[in-house]
Amino acid sequence: MTDIAIHLDGVTRNFGGVPAVRGIDLTIARGETIALLGPNGAGKSTTIAMILGLLAPDAGRVTVYGQTPDAAMRAGRVGSMLQDAGFVANATVRELVELARALYPKPLPTKDILATAGLTELAGRRLDKLSGGEGQRARFAFALAGDPDLLLLDEPTAAMDVASRQAFWAAMRRYADAGHTVLFATHYLAEADEYADRVVVIAAGRVVADGPAADIKKVAGGRTVSLRLDGHSPSDLAALPGVRAVELVGDRVHLRTDDADATVLTLAHGTGFRDLEVVSAGLDEAFLTLTAATEA
Amino acid sequence: MLAYFRFELRRLRRDPRLLLFAVLTPVVSYLVFSGVTVRAADPASAGILARAMMIGLAGYGAVFGALSVGVSVSQERSTGWLRQLRSTPLAPSRVVAVRAVLATLTGIPPVVAVGLTGYLQHGVTLPIGAWASVVGLLWLGTIPFALLGLAIGYGLAPQVAQPVSFLCFFLLSVLGGLLVPINAFPVLLQRFADWLPTFRYAELGWRAVAGDWPSLPGTAILLGWALVFAAAAAWTYRRFAAVR
Repeated sequence: MTDIAIHLDGVTRNFGGVPAVRGIDLTIARGETIALLGPNGAGKSTTIAMILGLLAPDAGRVTVYGQTPDAAMRAGRVGSMLQDAGFVANATVRELVELARALYPKPLPTKDILATAGLTELAGRRLDKLSGGEGQRARFAFALAGDPDLLLLDEPTAAMDVASRQAFWAAMRRYADAGHTVLFATHYLAEADEYADRVVVIAAGRVVADGPAADIKKVAGGRTVSLRLDGHSPSDLAALPGVRAVELVGDRVHLRTDDADATVLTLAHGTGFRDLEVVSAGLDEAFLTLTAATEA
Repeated sequence: MLAYFRFELRRLRRDPRLLLFAVLTPVVSYLVFSGVTVRAADPASAGILARAMMIGLAGYGAVFGALSVGVSVSQERSTGWLRQLRSTPLAPSRVVAVRAVLATLTGIPPVVAVGLTGYLQHGVTLPIGAWASVVGLLWLGTIPFALLGLAIGYGLAPQVAQPVSFLCFFLLSVLGGLLVPINAFPVLLQRFADWLPTFRYAELGWRAVAGDWPSLPGTAILLGWALVFAAAAAWTYRRFAAVR
């Protein structure tokens, strides 16, 4: 069981009778980098708060490294960067990092923490004088200072500009590659696609998909085949194998298909085509499809 | 826990506005009011008056300092600092304990400053042991006020915590006889003051100045208030601060 970092078993949580999490089962292995993907209000932050032990589930069980979330936290195995966590005035970035180091049993060297979070130049800056993006970096520094086995990041790149964002993900990658477990919540689909080993899609408090980003796309309707309309009749196209939806855009027709190979083969043997394009459906579309499926 | 204590202490030092206010207000009040009343009093009671007012205003500053923790923790709660600390290995009870201890420490500078003013302005002298017990008792005696401050701060938003803690401070100090001795009150109000933590708090100092031990009922009443405010602080912390 020690290979399991996080385990959620039938976890639910309501807020004043309104369900935020409606029964999540999830097992995350040590060393995985997981994206928790979902729209605002899907239950991502609530799930993270329960993994941190900040919230107790109404039903179900959460364990972190086989312990209660509280015990894992007290043992210094968990670091986090939370959306609604903030800092106080009258302290500098360096003092904040030193505080975090003192609270964890086996902290990283201050110099490394500042460098990783891109704060070396800002070490003497007061926390209340930081910009939004710099504040996020300070949160990241606070989260990783103790070299925790598990890093939980809730919407980490909110308020960051493009350059900070890239630097942040590079640092996160290095941290994950060193064998740490990282779970981040995001509604930036590209981030989940690009940086996670595995994507867990949450909508309306439930897991609606779970797997590698490529699989998630497949599950949600795969590819789009587009070609010139020419003499094709849309109803014939809709009858092609694999096709789920037909959309006319100008003189082109877009076919959403579960099986692009079969669609294209049948087309080729039949009426033929001009200017054919096959594109992978983005995670954006996948995500919409999955969310719609749950709401229906 | 020590690291957190040092971190917060440094923050307190860096923002001297609070301490300045807690120190200057009673010192200036003492200079003005004791200047007038002590000169008008007959020589026999002048010394007693100077000392009594010294304790009253020292307590006034200390209570203000200890209660002001409410505004700070309320801000910490609303900015998410409390939440940040809760997601570290530092136990929440220790965060609260550090805050409470710091709040009581805020009560010491006003006591020392007003004591010094009493010495300089009216030549108030006490045996060194009496000075020590005045400072020591007026420090420990701030515990109920620190707890009341925490109860307010964990329960209320900063915009509300500020006026509420000031109102508590003002009513408690006036009715507890920190500014005007309760002898000047109507009898009913005097009996009421007997039960107030501020009166019993200042009583610690008045007795220490006279070389007396704390009174049993006074200590019991202070302890009672400490328990009530501790329960209130625990309740507001659990209800409003723990989850957010």
